[in-house]
Amino acid sequence: MTVEIPKTAYSGKIKEITLGKGDKAVTVGGETAYPFYLFEGKMPHLPRIAMEVYDTPPEGWAAAALEPFAGVTGDPVAWAKKCINDYGAEMICLQLLSTDPNGLNRGADEAAAVVKEVADAIDVPLIVWGTANDEKDTEVLRKVAEVCQGKKLVIGPVEEGDHKRIGAAAIGYQHTVAASTPIDINLAKQLNILLGNLGVPDDALLIDPTVSGIGYGIEYCYSVMERIRMAALTQQDEKLQFPIICNIAKEVWKTKEIKMPEAEDPTLGDARKRGILLEAMSAMVLLMAGGDVLVMRHPEAIKLIREMIAELTAS
Amino acid sequence: MAKDLVSNKRRVHFEPDNVDIVVEQGTNLLEAAINAGVRIYASCGGAGTCGTCKVKIEKGEVETTRTRKVSDEEFQQGIRQACQSRVLTDLTAYVLVESRLEKAVLSREDRKISEALATGWRLKSPLSKFFVELPPPTIEDNVSDLSRLLRGLKQRYNLSNMSVDFDVVKKLSKTLRDSDWKVTVSTLVTAARPRTGDTHRPRLINVEPGDTRNKYYSLAIDIGTTTVCGQLLDLNRGKVIAESIEYNGQISYGADVITRIAYCQRPGGLKKLQQVVVATINEVIDTLLAKSQVNVRHIGHVIVAGNPTMTQILLGLDPKYLRLAPYTPAANFIPPVEASSLGIKVKKRVYLFAFPSVASYVGGDIVSGIVAAGVHQRKALTLFIDMGTNGEIVVGNSDWMATASCSAGPAFEGGGIKHGMVAISGAIEKFSIDPLNLEPEIGTVGGEKPKGICGSGLINIIAGLLEVGVIGQNGKFNADLPSRRIREGNEGYEYVLVWTSETQINKDIVITETDIDNLMRAKAAMYAGCQTLARSVGVKNSDFEQVIIAGAFGSHLDIEKAITIGLFPDLPRDRFIFIGNGSLLGARLTSFSVDLLDDARRVAQMMTNLELSENVDFMNNYIAALFLPHTNAAEFPSVQKKLDRLAKDKVKRGAMV
Repeated sequence: MTVEIPKTAYSGKIKEITLGKGDKAVTVGGETAYPFYLFEGKMPHLPRIAMEVYDTPPEGWAAAALEPFAGVTGDPVAWAKKCINDYGAEMICLQLLSTDPNGLNRGADEAAAVVKEVADAIDVPLIVWGTANDEKDTEVLRKVAEVCQGKKLVIGPVEEGDHKRIGAAAIGYQHTVAASTPIDINLAKQLNILLGNLGVPDDALLIDPTVSGIGYGIEYCYSVMERIRMAALTQQDEKLQFPIICNIAKEVWKTKEIKMPEAEDPTLGDARKRGILLEAMSAMVLLMAGGDVLVMRHPEAIKLIREMIAELTAS
Repeated sequence: MAKDLVSNKRRVHFEPDNVDIVVEQGTNLLEAAINAGVRIYASCGGAGTCGTCKVKIEKGEVETTRTRKVSDEEFQQGIRQACQSRVLTDLTAYVLVESRLEKAVLSREDRKISEALATGWRLKSPLSKFFVELPPPTIEDNVSDLSRLLRGLKQRYNLSNMSVDFDVVKKLSKTLRDSDWKVTVSTLVTAARPRTGDTHRPRLINVEPGDTRNKYYSLAIDIGTTTVCGQLLDLNRGKVIAESIEYNGQISYGADVITRIAYCQRPGGLKKLQQVVVATINEVIDTLLAKSQVNVRHIGHVIVAGNPTMTQILLGLDPKYLRLAPYTPAANFIPPVEASSLGIKVKKRVYLFAFPSVASYVGGDIVSGIVAAGVHQRKALTLFIDMGTNGEIVVGNSDWMATASCSAGPAFEGGGIKHGMVAISGAIEKFSIDPLNLEPEIGTVGGEKPKGICGSGLINIIAGLLEVGVIGQNGKFNADLPSRRIREGNEGYEYVLVWTSETQINKDIVITETDIDNLMRAKAAMYAGCQTLARSVGVKNSDFEQVIIAGAFGSHLDIEKAITIGLFPDLPRDRFIFIGNGSLLGARLTSFSVDLLDDARRVAQMMTNLELSENVDFMNNYIAALFLPHTNAAEFPSVQKKLDRLAKDKVKRGAMV
């Protein structure tokens, strides 16, 4: 007697979205089943990893996070190139830390000029991430959209409070938006509807559900992402059928468990290994929940994730 | 004549407004009408798709692009769509009655409340009056005064098995002799316990000199968290003689029941709130007496309906445990209490009956509404929604009922709204907006100059603003639109409904983004409550055969608009019935009939309460409902269709410009 293995009935498909342009453009999405459920459906495009670059030398980072980028952290262009040339980055995520109104508060023109330099210097897709301050992001990201017209950037975070003005710029200069909402399936859907009403095309939107690392509520993120995928794939919820982007690195690497040197608490073990593993494990959890684009930092964590993806998708 | 031929100016005369405007030849007739100040209804904004801007060309000629919206017969009669017509010659155009903007706002027929009322009850008030003439005692017949009275009542009215208040006995001897043995006796009955064979045992509560049967009045009072409404009833005729409404004085101590309960925990807090609500009730009574010229002596009974917190505070019962898990009321069935002992300004020996409650947040007000609407008498599966500060929902029929309560906040009663007010004279309740120039058309309760906005007005305003795109589905203003009415105020963006000069309040009446936010929260709580309750008993929206809406709205709650904002489920509109203040209605009907008094007791016992505060689905449903109309468009297919169509029309208009 043969045993019939029950299968999930899928009725939806994640939209395929191309990021960047030219030979190195990357397409994500297109899934017709839950993540890595290759026995039930297709995953035509594997999840992609974007490597983080900061527009200002980072402060207070764990030694392990700085070490791979020694010598380039003061120069975003060099940093981005190192990621691509030395670590095989297929995408770059430029974090506009310098524009934080509570920090350096660098102006929109200056920030946009740096983005333009990086965008001109690389050929892989570029994600540009603001500081989640509605007013400042509106100013900065609109300028970025303008000076990088035609580069097909991914611009985020686009939130309810600034979606109209940033969204309009993204439409005008043909970029993709990362629609960012605070860990709630309904809020995510609402913002997608609003962006749709505004005129953002269906092939220019990613969902940023807001994520956190292990030990900081990742279960909650997991469950929201999982529900988004269930609604998209099994409930024909068109407004949720978009690829998901997870800006995970900065969440993981800012925790005290990662920054604490081994000497302070020997039970936590080797600090470098700890950081890499926490990043990799957090990223893996998010991939299992439905992440399509991961923003990551440490090359070794990235390597682990690539291996995992390869193993899970080996035929 | 010759001059007319060369000039390209044309005079257009509009009837019945009797106004003229001179325009260039070729001018669009709808534009001419709008510029002439003629109020014409064009729901599609001049795209030609709605067919609402019809005019009859009585004289002169237009050039028209004909659409299917004009029938052959109409075309023969000279009827044209104004938006599709261009002026060729001097004209007289008659704006058809259905095209006049007032019609869209004003002439909606309210559905007859009687469709949804309890039926089959007798006009037999719990308070009864009996006049007797007793033979004076003699040495042969010297039974006690009380026995004489009871004997008289038995002989004359076949009344027996009566209980007697001691207070009656105290002054009985004097009253009988002073009145020459002619007296009127008042009796009161309470609800019989269902299925016990219990009968109504009359209680002798008062003896008055002479025949006072024609002065036979009682009070029905709804004690709401935000407002107190009262009616003075003529029990002989089964009629309302006067009606009055006041803000509940407790408002100053917190807008919702939770803050009131918290206030009661302070030293003297409960006593204070008790006195305050009694003061409000007394104001209501004063107004009723003044309006009706009835003497307070002739009020014989008081029935109140309120939520458990309001009821317990009125009775001086600490509401503390209503709020603490596991949420227990002091008593669901409260024995009648002498109203004057609570401070209510009626005579001694007038009893107050409070409607029984179901659970800590489902009270007598909802039981009263259910009884009034006769939900318990029909097999039809009913969704009953009472839109108060605390929204209450009942799902069920004559066999079973499930209920839930959600804190909607006072927005529907105008609370927490910048220019909010209760639905009294001068409150804006009707609203429509011209999709082209975004100018509003408003109507107030009583037709007075506007003072503020009532709950039904808010719903109409938000629906109207959404339909023309002044606000988005998230309730935020689209500030880029070219209208001087959309502006930035102290609390963010706002829309000016009425300019200062046209108000009674000497300032612009506006609706702010914060107001919209508050109303959205209220409607989301109500809708999520309905959804959660219905799903928990395995019922789909489409299963509801009727939806009964109760609430302290003006008489013009527009079901269509309420569905547009996602307040009520998107069901065929003929399933909706609006009964106004259900709590007051139940108190009134029960004042007239002991049958309904019995029903109230039975209804309170048959309801099963679902605690939404303990329900995980509720919060999720709530966030989904915090959108106009809803995050899940499939829940509101007709609204989505309408919005899509309006958006398309707008794009088309944009293309035309």
